[in-house]
Amino acid sequence: MAERSQKDVWRMTPWLVIALLLFNFVLMAFDAREISSGQRVIRAWTQTAADFVQSPVTTITSSISNYFISISSLRSAQDENSLLAQRVRELEVQLQQKQDLAAENSRLLSLLDLKERGRYKVLTARIIGRDPSVWFDSSIVNRGSLDGVTLNMPVVTEGGVVGRVSAVSPLTSQVDLLTRKGSGIGAVVGQIGESGALGVVAGTGDKELLEMKYVSGNIDVQVGQEIFTTGQDDIYPAGLKVGEIVEIVSGSATTPHKIRVRPAAGLNAMQEVGILLYSPPERLEYERTLPNAVRPKN
Amino acid sequence: MEGVRLTVALIVAVVLQWTLRNVFEPFAYIDFPLIIVVFAALQRNSIRAIVFGTLSGIAVDALSGGLLGANGFSKTLIAYLVSEMARRVYLDNLLLRIPVIAGACLLDDLVYYGLHWLLGQPPVGDALVTMSYSLIGTTIVGTLVYLILQNLSGPRPKQRRREMFSSRRQTRRRNPIRLNR
Repeated sequence: MAERSQKDVWRMTPWLVIALLLFNFVLMAFDAREISSGQRVIRAWTQTAADFVQSPVTTITSSISNYFISISSLRSAQDENSLLAQRVRELEVQLQQKQDLAAENSRLLSLLDLKERGRYKVLTARIIGRDPSVWFDSSIVNRGSLDGVTLNMPVVTEGGVVGRVSAVSPLTSQVDLLTRKGSGIGAVVGQIGESGALGVVAGTGDKELLEMKYVSGNIDVQVGQEIFTTGQDDIYPAGLKVGEIVEIVSGSATTPHKIRVRPAAGLNAMQEVGILLYSPPERLEYERTLPNAVRPKN
Repeated sequence: MEGVRLTVALIVAVVLQWTLRNVFEPFAYIDFPLIIVVFAALQRNSIRAIVFGTLSGIAVDALSGGLLGANGFSKTLIAYLVSEMARRVYLDNLLLRIPVIAGACLLDDLVYYGLHWLLGQPPVGDALVTMSYSLIGTTIVGTLVYLILQNLSGPRPKQRRREMFSSRRQTRRRNPIRLNR
């Protein structure tokens, strides 16, 4: 009797395997189709469950490592203190200048009757987990939909852009780095208005390097120039620093430049990040249907 | 009882996979759930191994930037292949299990990479380097884990071999010198 039941199990196994493989494949195909816009229930709930494990582990390990780091950094604390005091004085002066400029800017905007744009709050988040698969580099942060985080919100550090929120659970969110293959940011070489070198910064799969595409070969660009977001991709607001040009393969009148960019944010050693509670400005109907359309005059 | 032990081991493996990379980056190269799935498959309980493969794979995928279901697919396939192999070949010796876990790790990586490549989501980094490190890390840790699990669970290998393969009839060998005489 026991022998027969074992044979039944062996007979049943291939069918179970086929069913499970099919289930996984359908899941994959569905995920691949809407990877940038869809929200998966399985992801959301697993991330919520994982938060109860990841948060305590991260708290314990980071407090232990911080303890040792603080001991080692005590030596240089006094020198650093005097340097920082000097820096604070310099920054206070700069801040005063910036405040004057901001006030002037808002006055001019109101004169031009432009709506206020680019205002967003920054939500500080701690990285509590890294991608469990060695093949990818996403991170899990301890802020979720209960904190107001939604899909595709930009994530930054003090250095620059880190990436965007790719999945949200009530307590945590998953962040895809800008170095991921297939990612893209609308960007410009130099500040907007100063340069016409518009293009798209895309991930290469290498954590140290990005590629800027579609910059016209006629425009002069230099190694060392900084790259900023343009705000035209409906994810990132304008003016965020993306990186710095490290290599240029010059194009011609018919071919674009090939530009290599080093990310401004230190992606290897992130402990905390800022999630920009930013939603892009609503596009008008004619802009959505015809992106390059000229606004009709009333 | 063995099922409960293995389930606990699998949960621990998934939790380790979720957390250890944030503690120390090289831990990412060790595939803890795969080690337990292959161990379960080597116990010749194919259904348990296959279900373990799917569940642990999806649990890892849910927190990963990769495709949801890719790990589930590869681990289910590995669990089936290893359990079929273990049904036909005697693999209860630890030395024989080392190439099995190494082969399973390599195949798992190849299937995972291939699926992402097929569906237009190529993973980051150098595939050959990642696979090599993963192979080394998972094989070493897998061998140690099997050593522990073998001592903790189930009957001893000799006893299991007796259960699996019926014992041969023992005949007394005749001494040819005596026969001649």
